[in-house]
Amino acid sequence: MLRSRRRKHGSILDRSFQFQHGESPVHRLNAGVKLVIALMLSAFAVVAGKPWMIIALLGLEIGLYRVAGLGITVLWLDLRVFLLQVLILIALHMLRFDPVSGFWTGLKTGLQILLLFLPAAIFLRTTRSSQLMGGLRRVMPARIVFIIFTSFRFIPFFAREMEEIALMQRLRGAPISPRQLLNPVNWKALFDCLFIPLLVRAIKTADETALSAEARGFRIQAVPEGHPEKKE
Amino acid sequence: MKQWDEFFFKKFTLRDVIFLGFCATFMIITRSGLRLHLNIPGHAMFFTMFFFILASGCVPKMWAATLVGLVAGCLAVLLGIGKEGPLMLLKFILPGFLVDCCRAIFPRMATNYIACAVVGIIGSASRFLTVLIADALVGMEWAVIMDHAIFSSLMGMIFGALGALMVPLVIRRLEAHKLLHRDVSD
Repeated sequence: MLRSRRRKHGSILDRSFQFQHGESPVHRLNAGVKLVIALMLSAFAVVAGKPWMIIALLGLEIGLYRVAGLGITVLWLDLRVFLLQVLILIALHMLRFDPVSGFWTGLKTGLQILLLFLPAAIFLRTTRSSQLMGGLRRVMPARIVFIIFTSFRFIPFFAREMEEIALMQRLRGAPISPRQLLNPVNWKALFDCLFIPLLVRAIKTADETALSAEARGFRIQAVPEGHPEKKE
Repeated sequence: MKQWDEFFFKKFTLRDVIFLGFCATFMIITRSGLRLHLNIPGHAMFFTMFFFILASGCVPKMWAATLVGLVAGCLAVLLGIGKEGPLMLLKFILPGFLVDCCRAIFPRMATNYIACAVVGIIGSASRFLTVLIADALVGMEWAVIMDHAIFSSLMGMIFGALGALMVPLVIRRLEAHKLLHRDVSD
């Protein structure tokens, strides 16, 4: 039952915009260059006023998906998250204005929003997290990068903890299955049975991690002037 | 940047920043893994506001929630969570900043149900701005932008308030376990 559920819902990180391994020219491009190209494509989406510009840009971005070796399935996974928003925009335009002209205006605007964010999807699909983190080091203070790296490192750990605690609590009868959580009455049980034990675990892990880091000489606060540890 | 960095972290201990990082971790995990599958816009704010206000309550120091927002935003961009790409940073930092502003006005908000609900609504309302920016960039009509932004943020505000209402309960339980050493004087 657990295996079929995992296949149906996928793992926690199995979502749109996830990195796809490949050896395409897009994958091999430098992350900084890719980011600049993605920003330029997003900027074109903003200024694309005519329908032919939007269609050309859409064709270009779909072409980039093909060049990157990302198939139709991957393209659909990334496009589908925008579908609801495009439909809402079309509906709002049709309600506000004439239904026919409202439909076309809504569709144009929806496509522009899609084209605004799609280059970011191509960037994330073809750039490893390690490359992104390497770039972060250059633009952010070291202490913030430390927190980001630590948080990133503990994502699988706490995801596993959460699954184990949820499983054990459900075996004890806690009403925290996805179907039971559709009932707002059970939301308190979610916090009592899952989040509080998880937070207790998090506080203790934070204590242990802090002690461990300090034992290795890592400090989050600046060394004061005149302190023996401060090097000239 | 070095001076800003040192000033910012003067007040936080290593334990504090690691715990705040874990709050950002939980925000990302719940956003992507524990979603209620209601297909209602804005329901992700339920856990987002819960962890923002909880972080502010457990580490009662200025800019705690903003730091959580910055880390969560970076994690969301790194992991490709959310369709907005780099705009996800703004989507996380803004609510955190608003939570810190509310905390500056009412330091004990994390243990008060009404205050938490109000802060949950205010923090969730920041979605209005991110929708406004994205829609304005593509040159949408202002009337439609307002409709879209209001519709998108309204459900978020409701879920944000509901998530925030869980914080006092959790804070009291953690204090009962003697796990929190809160001094709200900062």
